Amino acid sequence: MTNLSRRGRSRLRILSLGAVAALALSACSGGVTGGGGDEGTEEGPIRLGMLAPFSGSEAAFGPYMKNGAQMAIDEINEAGGVLGRDLELVTEDDACDATSATAAANKLITSGIVASVGGYCSGATLPTLPIFSGAGVPMVIPAANSNQLVDADENGVFLINGTGDQQAQAALKWAEKQGVKRLALVDDNTDYSADLADAVAEQADGTGIEVVLEESVTAGESDYSANVNSILSADPDMVYWTGYYQEGGLIAAQLASAGYDGELLVADGTVDAKFSEIAGAAAQGVEGTFTQTPDMLEGADDWISKYTELYGEGPGPYSTQAYDAVRVVAEGIKQADSTDSEAVIKAIQDIDGLELFSGPLKFTEDGTLSEGGFAIVEVGPDGAFVLKDDLQS
Amino acid sequence: MLQLVVDGLFVGSFYALVALGYSMVYGIIKLLNFAHGDVYMVGAFAGYVLFSTATGLAASGGLMSLLLVLLIAMIFTGLLGVFVERVAYRPLRGSPRLAVLITAVGVSFILEYGVRQIMGPNPRVYQVRLSGETFNLLGARITLPQLILFAVAAGLMVALNFLVMRSRDGRAMRAIALDPQAAKLMGVNVDRVISRTFFIGSALAGAAGVMAGAYYGTIDFLMGFVIGLKAFTAAVIGGIGNLYGAMLGGILLGLLESFGTNFLGGQWRDVFSFACLILFLSFRPTGILGARVVERM
Repeated sequence: MTNLSRRGRSRLRILSLGAVAALALSACSGGVTGGGGDEGTEEGPIRLGMLAPFSGSEAAFGPYMKNGAQMAIDEINEAGGVLGRDLELVTEDDACDATSATAAANKLITSGIVASVGGYCSGATLPTLPIFSGAGVPMVIPAANSNQLVDADENGVFLINGTGDQQAQAALKWAEKQGVKRLALVDDNTDYSADLADAVAEQADGTGIEVVLEESVTAGESDYSANVNSILSADPDMVYWTGYYQEGGLIAAQLASAGYDGELLVADGTVDAKFSEIAGAAAQGVEGTFTQTPDMLEGADDWISKYTELYGEGPGPYSTQAYDAVRVVAEGIKQADSTDSEAVIKAIQDIDGLELFSGPLKFTEDGTLSEGGFAIVEVGPDGAFVLKDDLQS
Repeated sequence: MLQLVVDGLFVGSFYALVALGYSMVYGIIKLLNFAHGDVYMVGAFAGYVLFSTATGLAASGGLMSLLLVLLIAMIFTGLLGVFVERVAYRPLRGSPRLAVLITAVGVSFILEYGVRQIMGPNPRVYQVRLSGETFNLLGARITLPQLILFAVAAGLMVALNFLVMRSRDGRAMRAIALDPQAAKLMGVNVDRVISRTFFIGSALAGAAGVMAGAYYGTIDFLMGFVIGLKAFTAAVIGGIGNLYGAMLGGILLGLLESFGTNFLGGQWRDVFSFACLILFLSFRPTGILGARVVERM
């Protein structure tokens, strides 16, 4: 009797082990194939992944993007979801760093996302493109805008933010409007920044503007007096800084204390209230090229008050783009009538006239916006950037 | 041209302050203290915390409050240096030098990510900012804060020189540098003197950190890394283990960077300074003033 019962128990144990193993296996395969195609994601919520900086020097932007995306998801779910299923947002921190970003991208794919709606720093987003693309995940990138993202030519990449080329156009248009003859370009050697500076230099050819200096600084240092000196000796009418706000603030302050009295234009990576905090008094009068934020857009009042009510503070940069990225993906899935990546990518490419904050959406062949939507902003009295010129005329 | 010299001198004096600690520690126990740059970072954060907790201080914002904060932060980083030496380096004093070197790298990470844990990963902005008039000296622009900071740095270096060359402790330090065993036999309390060396070196790095925070305005938890490398370069150029060498090396490195950037462009600044480090290590590892190292062997 005792023998039998012992054998019975051990058989039971084998059986249960087998069951656990089977479960684990099926769970794994569900996770792995989940990113790749339809299988394993037929039930439950449709997951959208977002990589954004929640730590590191650009950490300020992550929460804005997350909130904007979450808002779109909540609205879509309230209206019944997509294909009868709810949407769910999965966020991971890329810390604006290539290594963290690739690890985080792999993590998102394992969690079974159907599309990616993230990407802020171009340098961190670029190495994730082949990862998402290899797993068959379409990407609608809300904020990163280096031309290299377009040139990478991976399958299913869409930028809902204007590209570096478009931002360069805006910068030159503004410089011309201001009567600038001598322009100095200063970048920080990151993908986004160097690309933008190169794009400006390229497009300046044939205009009345001469690029008198192209200089790179090393990010992460505090003293830029050596760079400031070479800027001063080039004697420009306008300096265009294409890097991020931390170095931008230091350079603005050091330019001012070295006696520079020309104009300072900064790119969208520097357009942030923190810039004025770092630059101090030198921030006054600094202008920036920037994608329109909700407070600059007409008819966005309802959206802003809803956002403020939900998150206890006003919407920041890229919250609208993240909101729109989710809506673009949702529209794509709806049109494709499936979560199959090929079908979704094709459907997104074919979207015509979906109303976004930046206007009716139509993607170019490359997956960029047919209209860039960059505007000129200026540091206001309280240190935040406010709209100065929408460059429409 | 003169502007390049002024800028070089100013940055160089920061490098020199940090390089002094590197050089002193190396001179006495032959340890490359890779955590030294992070002590500079901790100093900057200590100053930040002091300014933001004592809002009255921040409001008055005068030179006196800066000097007071500087002093408190120096004592704090000095004690931190003593603590690090006691916990991480002293137990390994008999071990192979590589073990201590690796420990130093470990301490560096602990300080960096400890501060990240406490203060968060985002850069912080100093409440107190030095601002003031601008002087024109033969076509070069010098600002009042630059002059003040340069004076403080020079004052600290003079005080250190006095301490090492004239005081009893200083004599003990020099004796240990020459021969620790013999110094011990002559009744020098080696442990205590090494502790004090760490205190002084770390306090100087902390002072540089507070000054950088008050002048440049923004600090973050990784700011010690680059300056640590630069200070090491400065110490090597001047002759590691030699106090005058550290000061000279710091100022030379500042000038090198300033002129190098002007002639080669900003993207070459670090390439240029670290190329100098490699050249010195290959052709004159004892540095410019390093002849005394040979004497010591």
